[in-house]
Amino acid sequence: MADSQNLLQTLTDEFQNLQKDLSSVVEARQKLESQLQENKSVQKEFAGLDDNAKIYKLVGPVLLKQDKTEAVMNVDKRLEFIEAEIKRIEGQITELGTKQEKKKMEILQLQSQL
Amino acid sequence: MAAPQQQQIDLSTLSVDNLAAVKKQLDDELEHLTASFQKLRQAQTRFRECIGAVKGGVNDVNAGKTLLIPLTTSLFVPGTLSSTENVLVDVGTGYYVEKTTKDAISFYNAKVDQLTKSLTEIEKAVQQKGQNVRLVEEVLRRKALAGSSSS
Repeated sequence: MADSQNLLQTLTDEFQNLQKDLSSVVEARQKLESQLQENKSVQKEFAGLDDNAKIYKLVGPVLLKQDKTEAVMNVDKRLEFIEAEIKRIEGQITELGTKQEKKKMEILQLQSQL
Repeated sequence: MAAPQQQQIDLSTLSVDNLAAVKKQLDDELEHLTASFQKLRQAQTRFRECIGAVKGGVNDVNAGKTLLIPLTTSLFVPGTLSSTENVLVDVGTGYYVEKTTKDAISFYNAKVDQLTKSLTEIEKAVQQKGQNVRLVEEVLRRKALAGSSSS
């Protein structure tokens, strides 16, 4: 009897850990989403600029002059990276979701046995 | 996210505990939406201030005047405007673009418009959430009354 109780407790703890992991992963996904939006708007902004428009990049406390083509490439690469990260994190979210469901089933099963 | 219509059908079949949980979730979402609304509002005000600063400050009237430039919150140095035509605009992700004052103003106006659109959308969502919260509260109250009168 005590064993089942302990097992139930362990399962519930594991479920809560999964919950915590899931919410931190979802938070990361939201951060990525906002970075994606920001970079997309910068990309649009660059597309509307003349080729000789002066672009500066903030590196630490210094503003460095950058070539338009270089800046555009930079932002495009960043966008690619962010999109790849988002895909990876979404995979993690689905995986955690499935694990959570399984854990819930295990808990319900155990509860019905008690 | 469950659609409000879906939850409406299920509300009457939920127990008091479940209803309380749903209400708590809706309250949290409402709080989150309201906070986002305020943040967008603040951002919009800041952009409007930028427009005001560019219009009022970077113009020929101030061309030769000595200005006090802040180095820290308590240290200023005298300086002058190097250019009354161009300004550096922060476009995001650490990039700054040199624009004419006209372009800068239209850039900020576009940002302000974008934010106004988002603000209207959030306002709608906030109202919808508020309605849902009230609905759940109502059903919860009825259930609680029915439960206490029958026990």
